[in-house]
Amino acid sequence: MADYAPSPWDVALREIAKVPERYLDLPGMSPRAEYRVPWPGGSNRKQTVDSASEMRSGLDDLHVDRAVLFPDHLLALAMVRDPRFAVALAQSYNAWLRDHWLLAEPTLKGSLVIAPQDPVASAEDIRRHAGEPEFVCIYLPASGVRPLYGHHIYDPVYEAASEVGLPVVMHSVEAVYPTFPFQLEVFQTSLAQHAVAHPFSMMANMISLLETGVPVRYPDLGIGIMEAGISWIPFMLNRLDKEYTERRREVPLLQERPSHYIKRWYFGTQPIEEPERRGDIVKLFELFDGAARAMFASDWPHHDFDHPQYVFGLPFSPADRRAIMGGNAARFFRLEAQEADI
Amino acid sequence: MTREYVVARASEIPEGSHRIVRVGRREIGVFNMGGVWHAIPNLCPHQRGPLCEGATSGTLGYGPHTDWKLEWIQEGEIVTCPWHALEWHVPSGRCLAFPDIRLRKFPARVDGDEVRVIL
Repeated sequence: MADYAPSPWDVALREIAKVPERYLDLPGMSPRAEYRVPWPGGSNRKQTVDSASEMRSGLDDLHVDRAVLFPDHLLALAMVRDPRFAVALAQSYNAWLRDHWLLAEPTLKGSLVIAPQDPVASAEDIRRHAGEPEFVCIYLPASGVRPLYGHHIYDPVYEAASEVGLPVVMHSVEAVYPTFPFQLEVFQTSLAQHAVAHPFSMMANMISLLETGVPVRYPDLGIGIMEAGISWIPFMLNRLDKEYTERRREVPLLQERPSHYIKRWYFGTQPIEEPERRGDIVKLFELFDGAARAMFASDWPHHDFDHPQYVFGLPFSPADRRAIMGGNAARFFRLEAQEADI
Repeated sequence: MTREYVVARASEIPEGSHRIVRVGRREIGVFNMGGVWHAIPNLCPHQRGPLCEGATSGTLGYGPHTDWKLEWIQEGEIVTCPWHALEWHVPSGRCLAFPDIRLRKFPARVDGDEVRVIL
């Protein structure tokens, strides 16, 4: 990415090349400590993919014919303290991704990363890439983002996204920020931290978007949520509708109950829950209209990736299965319109 | 109907190691644990990962079997699926996280330098 970064950030990025890269590190300044006690054994396979052809080959093994890529090392981008470096990372990643991955392998589509630290610069980058069919969504890094994504400072991002016709997609990572919601940083194990990190981040940002009426103010904006599983969604729908009955006057911008807006959003399935009774997963999907809104996501090559064979084998109806395994994503990311290109 | 197959040379699988062999359409993990031989499917019941491509190790135990002390136990007897890190106790075939799930175990023995598995 250094070749794509403006001076002097290219110098910083070249410096990173001298440091061994660890899984999910943020380039050069990871706030992530190595949390895990290094017991022998466990899952020790390689969990990164280094080129478009390697990704294509891995996805072929999974029988995934088209995929939308999210960054690996930039999942924690929102926690970079220097906004100038955050912007340089996001912009050089987007240009590098397009040149080296997306143009090389048209079955892979990109998520345009923004640096939430500077929404105006991020909006400029969105417009810079407008019309490039290689990008099918705008990625909002959610882990540790301050303020949450409903805040008005992000309006330029939503305006630009609406203007260029790309949906926004939120995705968190295992890091839990000390200040939200409270005491999450005191967990001792990855099991504890990972159990809440993704869904709590998505819950917070979901509430934030509704609180300031983002879906009302930007009615054409598609909204997606990735990598938090799906079982928390019915809880949020019902919880927010309950709050709305008593406190509607605080959010008069909402013209309908909150669940009506959220049911128009799209949700990545991974990491799909694995209840003891497999049929329970179908009930959970019914509770948020998941057959029309859930998008199979593999998370390949990460530690908790889902094999499509597993999700495909869940007891959905054939029509629902087809929608979940591809139809919904094709609609959300407007892949059908690009069918002729591939 | 079961049949005994010669699947490997014993000298190729030293104590503490394992390898994957193919018998017809099946892939079998053959383990040499201190001279005791075990054979299990190379197929994790979780999401069908290649279980026996994982490493063997011990694991952490904490309960009545360790007198309620945190201990590193079953050294060399645990194989961990490389896909999602689900742990399996090879001698019993038992899944550590979900003890009601057991792997199928195939009888395995050594005759001279021949490792034989009954399928």
